[in-house]
Amino acid sequence: MSLSLDATQLDRYSRHIIMDEVGPEGQKRLLESSALVLGAGGLGAPVIQYLAAAGVGTLGIVDDDVVERSNLQRQVIHGDADVGEPKVESAARFVDRLNPDIDVETHEARLDVDNAHELIGGYDVVVDCADNFRTRYVVNDAARIEGVPVAHGAIYKFEGQATTLVLDGPCYRCLFPEAPEPGTVPDCATTGVLGVLPGTLGCIQATEAVKLLLDAGDPLAGRLLFYDAMDMTFETVPYQRNPDCPVCGEGGIETIEGVDYTGGCRIDAD
Amino acid sequence: MEWKLFADLAEIAGDRVVAVDTDPGETVGDALGDLLEAHPGLRDRVLDDGEVADHINVLRNGSNVHHDDGMETRLEAGDELALFPPVSGG
Repeated sequence: MSLSLDATQLDRYSRHIIMDEVGPEGQKRLLESSALVLGAGGLGAPVIQYLAAAGVGTLGIVDDDVVERSNLQRQVIHGDADVGEPKVESAARFVDRLNPDIDVETHEARLDVDNAHELIGGYDVVVDCADNFRTRYVVNDAARIEGVPVAHGAIYKFEGQATTLVLDGPCYRCLFPEAPEPGTVPDCATTGVLGVLPGTLGCIQATEAVKLLLDAGDPLAGRLLFYDAMDMTFETVPYQRNPDCPVCGEGGIETIEGVDYTGGCRIDAD
Repeated sequence: MEWKLFADLAEIAGDRVVAVDTDPGETVGDALGDLLEAHPGLRDRVLDDGEVADHINVLRNGSNVHHDDGMETRLEAGDELALFPPVSGG
C-alpha cells in the first residue's frame, strides 16, 4: 500500500518527520501500521494517547469494562461524563478528538482462549495493558504463536515491570513459567495504585511499540525493566530464552485451544 | 548479605531490604533460609513444596541464579540478592 503524507499530516507529524530516525518514510510506516491495545485502563490510557498521537493508523482496543469513577484518578483518557460508558467507546471518542487519521477498531470483549488468536492475529504489535495474570498468559501465548511482538507492562502500587517480547527473544513464560495462584497477589482494587504510576509504565510500553513499528533502536527484549516510583529508580534484569519453554521453545504449542488457564496457567511439557 | 524484595514480597516482610547473617562461602539457599527464618510470613509465599516457586526469580547481582549453580551458588562478599515475583496490575 502506498500513501503519501498530505499537507495536514506533514504539519501534524512534523516533529517526527524532521528526525532522521523517523522521517517521512517512518511516519508513513506508522500510519500504515496497526497496534492492538489490550485493556483501556491505567496502562492502556497513555498507550492509546501516544499511539494515536504518533499516527499509528489502526488502533485496536480490547476491553469489556465500563468506566467507573474510581478509574479516573489514573485512566486519563476517560472523563467524568464517561462514567458508566463502555471503556472502548470512551477510548474511541478520545482518539477521534485527538487524531482523525486513526481508524479505531473497538472490541468490547475480554481476551480469552476462545478469541485470542482471532483478535491478535493480523496486528503488527500487541500492547499488553491487562489487569490479571490469566489474560497476560493468554496474550503471551497467542501472540507468540501468531508471530506478533508484545510490549508488556504491569504495575503494583508504586512499582512497575516492563519487557518486550520479540519473536526471536524470550517470551513471558521464559521469565515467569507460571503465574502465582489466583488470590496470592492482591489487585489494584485491594491494594490501591499511585495514579501516575501507569502513566510512566504505559509511556514505556508505547515507546517500545513505536520502536517496534519503526524497526528502530533496541527493544527491551530479554530484559525486565523495574521501576520504583518511591525510590525513583530503574533497574534492568536480563533473562534468557528457556529452550524447554512450552510456547517459544522447540516443539512449542501451535494453538492455545485446550490450554488450561485456571490457577497458575502452567503448560506442562509432554 | 542483603536481600532486596519486590512487590508483595516486600510488603509481607515489612521491608524492601532485609539484612541476613549469611557469610561469604555459604550458598544462596543458606541466605534464603536465613531470610525465611527472619520473616516466616514469606515462607508460604515463596516456597512451593519446599522449593522456590516457579514464578519467583532469585537474583544474585542482577542475574538469575539459574545461570550459576541455582540455590547451591556460593556467595561472595558484597553480593546483592533479590527475590522478585510477577505483578499483573494494569
